[in-house]
Amino acid sequence: METRARPRSTGRFLVLAAAMLGVAVLSQQSWAAGFRGTAKSALTPVEAQMMSLAATVERATAIFGDIASLRDQNQKLTAENQDLKRRLAELDAAAYDNNELRQALNFQRSFGHKTVVTQVVGRGPDAFSRTLQIDRGSDDGVQAGMIVVSGAGLVGRVRETGPHGAIVQTLADPQSRANVFLSGSGLQGTVIGGPGALQVQIQHRVGAAPAKGEWAITSGIGGGYPRGLVVGVVVNVTHSDAATVDAALVDWVNNPATLSLVIVVTDFLPS
Amino acid sequence: MKTVAGLLLLVAAALIQVTWASQLVVAGVFANLVLIAVIGLTWTQGVGAGLLWACAGGILLDLNAPGPLGPHSLALLAGAYATGFWARNLDRESPFHPAAAVAMSTILYSLVLIGTDDALGLPIPPFRTALQLTFAACLYNAVLMPPALTALRRVTGSLHWEQTAS
Repeated sequence: METRARPRSTGRFLVLAAAMLGVAVLSQQSWAAGFRGTAKSALTPVEAQMMSLAATVERATAIFGDIASLRDQNQKLTAENQDLKRRLAELDAAAYDNNELRQALNFQRSFGHKTVVTQVVGRGPDAFSRTLQIDRGSDDGVQAGMIVVSGAGLVGRVRETGPHGAIVQTLADPQSRANVFLSGSGLQGTVIGGPGALQVQIQHRVGAAPAKGEWAITSGIGGGYPRGLVVGVVVNVTHSDAATVDAALVDWVNNPATLSLVIVVTDFLPS
Repeated sequence: MKTVAGLLLLVAAALIQVTWASQLVVAGVFANLVLIAVIGLTWTQGVGAGLLWACAGGILLDLNAPGPLGPHSLALLAGAYATGFWARNLDRESPFHPAAAVAMSTILYSLVLIGTDDALGLPIPPFRTALQLTFAACLYNAVLMPPALTALRRVTGSLHWEQTAS
């Protein structure tokens, strides 16, 4: 019995593995993108219901005592605080920026962009890809490559779209990269996603050093993201004379686990 | 009936994994409920059934992940197949073995997932990050496995699912 079962399960494993590999190769083809997007949109309504159910449960359980009102107040204050921080960072950036250069880059700050507000209905299935699922897709004008922001700052980029949903790769994704500058020193660097705080590799420049408390703001270099979006605040800097770059940790202004609404910037696509 | 119940279980696990599980992030990872469910089904129903559930569960995860359909199924298949060997020759009632099996399956799952993404030309996380996340996920899933298996046994017991060796 045992000796027969083993080759049978091995055979089944090999057949299924080959079939799944075939599905992976086929569904990766460009002609299958439409079907893949439609299939991925299929679960979006159910996920949206689950997220709203979770929010309802959270509200219901917080109804006892003053927890709910305190939480509301805390959320409002946190949102106000984030907004103030963002404005402060933007003012810092504005002081550093050259207006003419900005005009040349043809970048309209914050509210000059066309946007679509979407609800977060799901998150990536594992920690290797920190993604969000949103409830707007190609039917709403959302395209792969578009930038996603929140009231606090940069969230990430749309990676795939279906008719009624899309997958957003967040900055916390280990594969994410964004070019930034620091609001105080003006040093340039690259933010790299990761499971904890975001990491930044900052290029050395004579006479300037990165410092804690500086804001990391997208530089627009490389054309991946528009200039001026707040990424986070520098919380730790590791300087090494021997290295060509300094390493720093950035406390991201967004928390992907708690984001419920995000904004897709529909009039900017990476160059 | 068995098929419907199994599918419902996997759909529920996948939906909870992509909606609520990320609220409980520990050391950068959250519970892989579909992997736990597939390993639990393999442990209680045998490797043959486990492999089929791995395909179904993997497709459900792929529907929520960027990239093609299939990599998560391949990753779960590897875990289910290895668990089948483990379950065949060991004490199925011990809580230690399923916890160790899910830890080992998490390693295989991560290896196959990253390997498949790499082979398909998709971006993969840096080695150190992947190692750190895999280690944390092993512990997280192993801690959840014994209570999950107990719950699964109650469900399968009430539905009179038979345990098979193969």
